[in-house]
Amino acid sequence: MSKKTKTPEQQQYEKLEQKHELKRPVLKNCIRAFWVGGLICVVGQAITYFYIYFFNFTEQTAGNPTVATMIFISMLLTGFGVYDRLGQFGGAGSAVPVTGFGNAVISAAIEHRTEGFVLGVGGNMFKLAGSVILFGVFSAFVVALIKTLLIIWGVI
Amino acid sequence: MKKRLLSFIAFSLILLSGCSGDGKVTDSDLALLKTTNPPAVLIDKNTRGNMDLVENIEHDVEKMKELYDVAVVKSNGDTLVAYKVKHLQRFHMKKIEKKMTKMLEEKYPDENFIVSSDYKIFIEAVELQEKMKDPDFTDNKAKKKLDKIIKLKNEMT
Repeated sequence: MSKKTKTPEQQQYEKLEQKHELKRPVLKNCIRAFWVGGLICVVGQAITYFYIYFFNFTEQTAGNPTVATMIFISMLLTGFGVYDRLGQFGGAGSAVPVTGFGNAVISAAIEHRTEGFVLGVGGNMFKLAGSVILFGVFSAFVVALIKTLLIIWGVI
Repeated sequence: MKKRLLSFIAFSLILLSGCSGDGKVTDSDLALLKTTNPPAVLIDKNTRGNMDLVENIEHDVEKMKELYDVAVVKSNGDTLVAYKVKHLQRFHMKKIEKKMTKMLEEKYPDENFIVSSDYKIFIEAVELQEKMKDPDFTDNKAKKKLDKIIKLKNEMT
């Protein structure tokens, strides 16, 4: 923003605004996000152990099916309207884990359903999730490049 | 709303308690939760020297402070060493593996070691040790199972 001096009316309005503005409960939000995010991760860990115990997955390979399962569950919960409530309560705690990705896909699909299947659902489904995929793939590429170079140079 | 939630909880409890199986709980079922300390397994000619060798390997590995549970399986070709790392030491997993491989290869140069800290490998090793108690479980079958474990270990994502 430009550093223009504010008119007296603007300053007065700012004072009025500050008087009425609600204080953001940052600490409370953080604690809630911590608990909700942690809970989601506990579920994920349980699913990992489920795959290790009952299927032929090692700790190394169990990650992929776990992620897929978590996304699937969060997609279902979004469709049933449960994940919205969780998101309202937990904030970033429900958006940052991989389950937030499933939520972003399905909520966009639901939102644009009225615009038809092709231009509505198909065109808007990856509106938010698309950037996750794009930058995820790109950063994976960069990290792989760095690792390859380090291996070639014999650092690791 | 509350009624629905309650009935959902009751339903899921009933569903979950149905999964308790035949009630027989073996060590390999609990291998993730508790320290099992399985005895070393030998799938080879049961000679004094061989037996001493596996037990010595197990003792040497157990001496490492970062670990708390070790399973050793030796066949005539490979020796599998599966172990659990103490939780706070899990940050140094790679370093521990390197250190252990170096120590084992220096001490027992004739053996071909497969070292793994993976829980799955540990569970399978304990299961193999349990199956060995059964007289119907031949050495051939055991060898096959060990090969399967090694293949699983080498699998990449």
